[in-house]
Amino acid sequence: MSANDSTVLSAAEFMLRQALLGATPLVLAGYGELVAQRAGVINVGIEGLMLMGCIAAYAGAVATQSAAMGVAAAIAVGVLFALLFAIVTIWCRADQIVTGTAINLLALGASTTAWGVLRNSSNNTPPPLFEPIVFGQYWLFFFTLALGVAIWVWLRFTRAGLIVQALGDAPDAANAAGVRVRLWRTLIVLGAGACAGLAGSYLSTMRGHSFQINMTAGAGFLVLALVIFGRWTLPGLVLATLLFGALEGLQAYLSALPNATAHVPHQLFEMLPYAATLIALAALTRSRSGPIYLGRSWPEER
Amino acid sequence: MKRAVLDVAAIGGAIALSIVLVAIGLRVAGYDATGVLREWAVSAGGTQADWAQVFNNACPLIFTGLAAGVAFRCGVFNIGAEGQFLLGSAALAAFATRVWPLQGAESPAYVAMALGILCAGIAGAMWAGVAGVLERWRGVPVVLSTILLNFIALLLLGILLEGPLRTGEHKDLVQSDTLTMAYWLPVGGLGTMHAGIFVAVALAVASWLVQARTAFGFELLTTGLNPVAARLAGVPVASRQLAVMLISGALAGIGGGIQLMGVEGHVLTPTSQAYGYMGIAVALLGRLHPAGIVLAAVFFGLLDRGATGVELTYQLPPEIANIVKAACVLMVLVASAYIGRRQLAVRQR
Amino acid sequence: MIELANITKRFGPVVALSGVSLRAQGGEVLGLLGENGAGKSTLMNVLYGLVQPDEGEIKLSGEAVRVRSPRDAQRLGIGMVHQHFKLVPTLSVIDNLRLANKTCTHADVEKWLGQLRWELDLAARVEMLSVGQQQRVEILKALMAGSEKARVLVLDEPTAVLTPQETEELFAAIKTLRGAGAAVIFISHKLHEVTEVCDRITILRRGEVVFEGKCDSLSAGEMAEKMVGAKVALPRLERAGEAQGETVLGVERLSNGRLRNATLTVRRGEIVGVAGVDGNGQRELVEAIVGAAAIEAGAVTIAGETMTRASIRERMAKVAFIADDRHREATILPLSVQQNLMLKDYRDKRFSVMGWLRFGAWREHSAALMQRFDVRAAGPGEPLGRLSGGNQQKVVLARELHGNKPLVVAVNPTRGLDVGATAFVMRELLAARARGAGVLLVHSDLDELLAISDRVLVLHDGTLTASDWPACDKQAIGRLMLGLAARGAA
Repeated sequence: MSANDSTVLSAAEFMLRQALLGATPLVLAGYGELVAQRAGVINVGIEGLMLMGCIAAYAGAVATQSAAMGVAAAIAVGVLFALLFAIVTIWCRADQIVTGTAINLLALGASTTAWGVLRNSSNNTPPPLFEPIVFGQYWLFFFTLALGVAIWVWLRFTRAGLIVQALGDAPDAANAAGVRVRLWRTLIVLGAGACAGLAGSYLSTMRGHSFQINMTAGAGFLVLALVIFGRWTLPGLVLATLLFGALEGLQAYLSALPNATAHVPHQLFEMLPYAATLIALAALTRSRSGPIYLGRSWPEER
Repeated sequence: MKRAVLDVAAIGGAIALSIVLVAIGLRVAGYDATGVLREWAVSAGGTQADWAQVFNNACPLIFTGLAAGVAFRCGVFNIGAEGQFLLGSAALAAFATRVWPLQGAESPAYVAMALGILCAGIAGAMWAGVAGVLERWRGVPVVLSTILLNFIALLLLGILLEGPLRTGEHKDLVQSDTLTMAYWLPVGGLGTMHAGIFVAVALAVASWLVQARTAFGFELLTTGLNPVAARLAGVPVASRQLAVMLISGALAGIGGGIQLMGVEGHVLTPTSQAYGYMGIAVALLGRLHPAGIVLAAVFFGLLDRGATGVELTYQLPPEIANIVKAACVLMVLVASAYIGRRQLAVRQR
Repeated sequence: MIELANITKRFGPVVALSGVSLRAQGGEVLGLLGENGAGKSTLMNVLYGLVQPDEGEIKLSGEAVRVRSPRDAQRLGIGMVHQHFKLVPTLSVIDNLRLANKTCTHADVEKWLGQLRWELDLAARVEMLSVGQQQRVEILKALMAGSEKARVLVLDEPTAVLTPQETEELFAAIKTLRGAGAAVIFISHKLHEVTEVCDRITILRRGEVVFEGKCDSLSAGEMAEKMVGAKVALPRLERAGEAQGETVLGVERLSNGRLRNATLTVRRGEIVGVAGVDGNGQRELVEAIVGAAAIEAGAVTIAGETMTRASIRERMAKVAFIADDRHREATILPLSVQQNLMLKDYRDKRFSVMGWLRFGAWREHSAALMQRFDVRAAGPGEPLGRLSGGNQQKVVLARELHGNKPLVVAVNPTRGLDVGATAFVMRELLAARARGAGVLLVHSDLDELLAISDRVLVLHDGTLTASDWPACDKQAIGRLMLGLAARGAA
């Protein structure tokens, strides 16, 4: 292999590695959001859930000096906050978007406060964190892969998958068929919380080795856009994430080239997922804009 | 009347309960809960300087709160005050640094300021208009499009500040030129409080007048509560909802402009303080009423100001205030489920 | 096989069902006939477990059973096909069936399809199917709930949404099911269908059984008479002189949705009643006149002006509209009585000046209206939701009728009202006529309609037919409502 080939190969390898590192938490959190939206619940608070996962994982790891316990803590906290969201939106029937916004605010406050408390506390030994296993990826990458396949099969081939779709497209029909609509939706939201918490733990104990204030920096909203752009399908979500990740990687690579003359603002690339989703929404005919009852409480008031 | 009393009671209860919950959390984490709360209260409103800062904190929240409030009341879910605010400030920065800089000015130039605010309002309205038009013509739910537009706006701001609006003063900094003194809102009366608060309150009053006492406001009210009946009563529902989007965006945009002219530094940076999202919380806590929104904004301002004092004494991050804010909002949301006849969050498609 | 014995059900002071008994054998099709409000829906809701009877019991093959919920009904073998389908549009047929019934297999469905001689693509998404095919999915759903022993299928106005061809196919399927031993209950108000497919019929009127027996033991005319009653229950109220004056409403060959080629006129000083069972085009007719829907063909003229494409606001000046669904269309419950009274007039010069509302004038006007129309409330500021149904309707009447507009369109104006409020509404409509307005009254309560209408048209299946009222009798109207000719042999 000539020197040129190897640089090209290593560049491609580098890009792929980076793309996978970036995509893992997004896709993982996306699983939960996808299933939730298919069931009719739009969780804008996923940003906050991920953020809480970040701090919980790190704080848990510090407290117990075990990275695994940190991950467990992240999942637990994600589920807890998701439970709060579920109670307010599914059982008290408050608006889902507004509640999600409040959850984000709560998470920002709670995570930053917890971080401050942690920094002040005497317990300051750095925790053990995870190391990459192969190809620069962490165990969570492979878990995400497996989970994706499992969820895809679950949605496609089991009665549960039918129920999920019925919850989002015709909850009255589901109810008539004996499905406990609110219970199912609650469990799905809790699952989404677990996914988001887990995704958050990735940011602070795997890909990153610490916590920063507002660490997610909009990743949750990005997940929202990706789920929608992927047309509420699992393969769509994965492809969309990889696509936009690849584009960003390409942009970073191009702008790092020594003779980069055309300076395309990196923000344009960052904007792509949001703008593309917007265009996709506008281009879709009204009847195919996602689950029919997305965002609506059940049972609906007259 | 009775409903207003219930509303106030619910909010009071929510605030009290939130404070209690935070106190419990503090105690569990090993802090002196009562001490923290006392410090919080004292730092918030102890001195005149404190109150000046409180009003400065509240100012942008009043604008974004009004934006959210007027939209929600009409059944239009504008979550995009965030982006509309940012672009409003960008528009003002563009006007004040590139169109009419008034170099060497020593005192506020009110005409220039007014024009700047106009630009800010138009920018905000147009950005909101994108979402409104997309809904009207392509059925894209405003709720989704405004969230996406928020991010696009933030990134646009970054592009502008690295490009056409970038300052020549310091080669390394990504920010706009510092506004000349022509564009500095007058300060005084109460410490470092800038005049933006007066504009905010004035707009709140105007907003209330329009909502409560004009035909247009009446149409907005009916459209928000029962669009079917409103339509049958001759109200052009779709037009009104688009109009409300524009007004809402304008309010948020103006807020962005005022913030730039009021806050120390007078320089635009590619960051967001999340005033837009906070405004939604303010609107909810204020029960979508302009007076309530002003009070809720001041309350948030007090929380933030007090939290900075707590930070000094107890080394707790000031974001602890957000916990109280969020807890209040969540409780009000829950309470609405039981006492609310007011259409806070029941959307009809 | 299935028997409802002596069912009585009250909703507050209203007696929906009184001692109603119904029996359907396996291998038989029972027709259930009755007007709106006769009690058919309530009776079926009792059977399906959606409503619990105050008295009486349900027996299956002789044994008394408790049906507490639709799931109980399904377990007992009772399947119901509603008018509004409960299907998931984005799932396939087989998936919808599997959703409703965990144990459903491809083979089971194929077996039924074979028996009924139906062609249905099990993999097709429900939203791509025609309405007739969707109904078949619903029927399959209902059938698969049953067992071999007991199978009862209730069809609630099934042909309302079908084409004639699909109706024929449905009848064939019903006959097959009958042959297979099921008991089929067929609810309808279309007489020719009932006579074609039913073996026995039960006729309900005002919550009571007025006939029960074999289908061919009655002539069509007799059936019509039983359904609407021979005598008009209410006394004929005062009759105005001959309707004079100009036409206030002209509807010319109007087509809109189910409504086809409707033509009618209303002149000043007359009340024109439109009779018919709900769902035969009434909504489409009213929407076209009021401006709430764009029409496909035809013309609407109001007070001399062509208003076919006019907006709701433009028509409001000439049209007083008392809408069907009080809570959804005519009022805004969280607002005060005063605000509801001003819902349409707020832009008037008296009540607003360049957009600024004149609350003083509002208060005066509201107080006057409340007095004139006898609205019982704590004050103009009281939220409308607190008022009784009757008073809410009075507010609607006050708002619409005080302005002496040339055309009044009233739809089911006495729905849900007690006797006193009903009488009030009727008097106000007559008063409007006396003042020279033309009134179009679309009403499903035939007795009330006949009591005050000068002329009566009948809507059936989207077609508007004139009757000879008052030259004909109530029975003739009943026949028209059922789709028969007004006169002639059964």
